[in-house]
Amino acid sequence: MADIDNLIAIYAVIVIAIAAIALISIIAVPIGYEETQLYPKNINTSSALNPYDRGGEPFGKTDVIAQYPQNSPYLGYVTAYLTPLSALMAASNLYLGTTIVSHPGGIIDEILYNTRGLDTIVETSILFTAFAIASFLFRREDE
Amino acid sequence: MFELPTSSIGGEELFVLPFGDIVNYFTPYTGALFLFALIFTLICIFSKPEKQLDVAFGTDAIYAKDVTGKDLHFRRFMAIACGVATMGAVTSGDVFNFTLFVSMVGICIIGIVASVKNKHVLNAAFNYGIISMLATVPLFGGAAITLAATGTLSIWELSAIAPAMPGIAKALILVGVMGEGIAPFYAAKAELFRAPGAPYVIMIHVSSLLMFLRVVEIMLTV
Repeated sequence: MADIDNLIAIYAVIVIAIAAIALISIIAVPIGYEETQLYPKNINTSSALNPYDRGGEPFGKTDVIAQYPQNSPYLGYVTAYLTPLSALMAASNLYLGTTIVSHPGGIIDEILYNTRGLDTIVETSILFTAFAIASFLFRREDE
Repeated sequence: MFELPTSSIGGEELFVLPFGDIVNYFTPYTGALFLFALIFTLICIFSKPEKQLDVAFGTDAIYAKDVTGKDLHFRRFMAIACGVATMGAVTSGDVFNFTLFVSMVGICIIGIVASVKNKHVLNAAFNYGIISMLATVPLFGGAAITLAATGTLSIWELSAIAPAMPGIAKALILVGVMGEGIAPFYAAKAELFRAPGAPYVIMIHVSSLLMFLRVVEIMLTV
């Protein structure tokens, strides 16, 4: 344990042990799946917005479950809006749901961008931190 | 048995900062952790880094390891980012949000030592980087099991239905924080501390310490 080169192996053994215990205990005492999910998801494979389709009318209000509705006054207004480009892509093929990050104003998901917006911000912050480190290390060779 | 006056050891709620479903909260406990992270981030912003001196034995010579230029800017930036991520993690009122902030702390710790041109430090950082990458699996796995088994992620709701989070999820999150916070892996931590530039390097230690104090509170609450 005093040698750095063994650390990965030690940590991997710990993780494997915990995972094995978890598997055994799940088999012994199964954990039930909670039916009243806060963020329910229906996979509708014929929808172009799959898996982000939460239904609803554009510019109308949609019923969306939130933990604290009083904190999201615009809950339900976000979900159905697509930019003209995204609407065109959604009309022409079935794969718009896979391009969520690759075009501006694409799918606006109620849960990602409204009720759990801070998660999205932190996720992109992690990405940008990683990019900052990588670009710094790459550009350092020029010195 | 003693009759203790209050059941909430973490203290009464002082202030709540809602972000939609994610409701960050300040109790005396998390508030103290937040203040500690804030003060240390301010030290990183305003303090100049230390100058590490190595004495060459048998002579009068001294090697001074100075942190200057781009190196200084980048390490200060990463230390501040680490401080901000720590502040987010210690006040987070949501299990998944907490795991996200923890993994951001892990990446920032690598960033703090990434610009050091010392073979031993970089080797330690590489090994630690792989551990923190691996640690995201149990970390997010624990959060996912929590959501599936209880239907919610809010610490407020989870603490209301007290022993709600499955023990497996708790164990997975704990082992994930262990990996991100380099807790029992003192060898890697000692090597990372060889890097010059005191307030930035100490940020590694402060952030992982606060991470642990917070995860213990969450595990006891939910």
